[in-house]
Amino acid sequence: MNWDIANKNFYRQGLRAFLNVLVTALSIIALIFMLSLLNGFQAQATRNLVSTDVGGGHYRVPGFDILTPTEWEDFTMTVPEVLNGLTAKDKAEVLIQQGQLYPNRRLFPVQLRGIEMNQSLLHLPLAGLKSYDDKMGNMIPVVVGVKMARKAHLKKGDTVVLKWRDKGGAVDARDVLVVDVGDIVNPRIDNGVVWLRLDHLRSMTDRDKEVSWVAVREYLGPVNGFEFQGIDLLMSDLLALLRQDRINSKILWGILMVLVCTSVFNTQILNIFKRQKEIGTLMALGMEPGRIVRIFTLEGVLAALWALVLTVFLGVPFFIWFQGVGFDVSHLSEASFPIRETIYPDYQPREILVSVSIVLALIIAAAWVPVKKIIRLDPTLALRGRAIT
Amino acid sequence: MIMKNQIVFALLCLFIFVNPCHAEEINAQKLLEQVDDNLWANTKFITGRLIIDNGRKVRTLTQDSWMQGVDRSYSHYKSPAREKGTKMLKIGGKLWMYTPRTDRKVLIAGHLLRQSMMGSDLSYEDMMEDHKLSHSYAATLEGFEEFTGVNCAVLHLVSRDKETTYQTRKVWINKEERIVLKEERFAKSGKLLKQIVFLDYGKIDHRMFPRTMIFRDMLKENTRTTYKFDVIEFDVEIPAKYFSQSILKR
Repeated sequence: MNWDIANKNFYRQGLRAFLNVLVTALSIIALIFMLSLLNGFQAQATRNLVSTDVGGGHYRVPGFDILTPTEWEDFTMTVPEVLNGLTAKDKAEVLIQQGQLYPNRRLFPVQLRGIEMNQSLLHLPLAGLKSYDDKMGNMIPVVVGVKMARKAHLKKGDTVVLKWRDKGGAVDARDVLVVDVGDIVNPRIDNGVVWLRLDHLRSMTDRDKEVSWVAVREYLGPVNGFEFQGIDLLMSDLLALLRQDRINSKILWGILMVLVCTSVFNTQILNIFKRQKEIGTLMALGMEPGRIVRIFTLEGVLAALWALVLTVFLGVPFFIWFQGVGFDVSHLSEASFPIRETIYPDYQPREILVSVSIVLALIIAAAWVPVKKIIRLDPTLALRGRAIT
Repeated sequence: MIMKNQIVFALLCLFIFVNPCHAEEINAQKLLEQVDDNLWANTKFITGRLIIDNGRKVRTLTQDSWMQGVDRSYSHYKSPAREKGTKMLKIGGKLWMYTPRTDRKVLIAGHLLRQSMMGSDLSYEDMMEDHKLSHSYAATLEGFEEFTGVNCAVLHLVSRDKETTYQTRKVWINKEERIVLKEERFAKSGKLLKQIVFLDYGKIDHRMFPRTMIFRDMLKENTRTTYKFDVIEFDVEIPAKYFSQSILKR
């Protein structure tokens, strides 16, 4: 009975009701889109970092800090037996050293990163190095990323002087050949990085069997002389950034909700103001004030439910279309985000359900708060249209 | 048959006792020692200008330096305004730098010593270098070559240990004056890295000392750093406080 009355009243509101429903539906679509895009961003950034650099974590030489280049040479060790026994798909040995590149005879400080050629744990465009012999010739083959190549004005086939120090501190320099310019999706291992064969870098620096870290597929327990750094620790800066992004998105979400609730609240206030004679009549005919409140609240709930239906009609095609085209973030290639390709939203059903439930609860509350005063209304004043001024 | 044996024996003797390389190696080392003896003093005081030309801009830094042996040196920069008051103190393998702007002293050790000093063609390590070449390197005579109109002995120097920054060097020495006119420093691979030309030699006390040194980083284009010595004094008394960290303040 209540439902029928509320339904009829709701349709009678006409355009006002439709606008309410539309605003609410668009807000829900924006909310789901925002959350899913952030999920997609995080998932892709994590995937890129894991597949190009982090793996399942690093066994690092204690004290090694990638942000302190002047100490890289002090923190290298020989690979322990327990890690040596792993297969090529379960580990990648990496040696990091300082170097100075001289493109066009200008100094360009670089990170020399040597990596095993037979490893398959990390996916890097280093096929150009594989064809070279493990014994270093006169010309050292190197690969640089697209960003690095652009900044240093390098291209495939260029020869450039590279200077470095060996383990004892003696300075050495040779011509290196850029055998390839690789498209590396993770700018952290592109910008300022020169990739070499691990055997070549070890030979150049007199660091036989030494590494800065060993990337592994999964944690293997404590390894003597090495410390394990997991994915969360190695990605801590990115995760902190994404956490901050989620806080920012919540603020935006809050603003959207305030707008939706204000719209519903405003509609309800207008309803009871315009319909106070109707309320007075219902009360005079013996309807309990509590029931009248429920009917008016139901009208608000109806707006929320129709908004949900409209969300499905408008949102689902939009989400399907967007999943196909994605969100172009090529502009981020200049930043240090480990993501350069198109982002695709990652829809999490549980997250969507929780978010929509919160929206519905807020709308119901926003519909109920203005009408609860009906309980205290004087029917005679309401009949004359003077109960609410 | 006897005749033939005698000829072989004579040739063998000639090869063993009159091996020119062997003879020249001894001379080369001696020549290098003489060069060191000429330049070397227990203490030195220098007022100089460091003219840094990076190909686009030329900056001139003036400084006073006090040096004691191979281990200790102290420099005080007097100009330009940006560098005025900067102090550097070297004790052993460590270098402290004090900048009045920050009013802090910073230890430049280990790998930081290999960075370019104030944008010049010299690293801190190059600047700190003050050791006897004859101690660190074994010299061999490569030949004779004319440089700036002087017939020079060209010595090839090979480091005696693996930790020396430049594993090989080449020096052009005026044999008569026992002075170095040019020096080249090489990477392990043999690639030329730095070139130093010594100019304006003059007699100071009983030594021949260059008043100008031109450093060039051969891997860079159009850069040079000229070190001009305006005042040089040998075997001077240096107050002990100059080699104490307490001097690194305003």
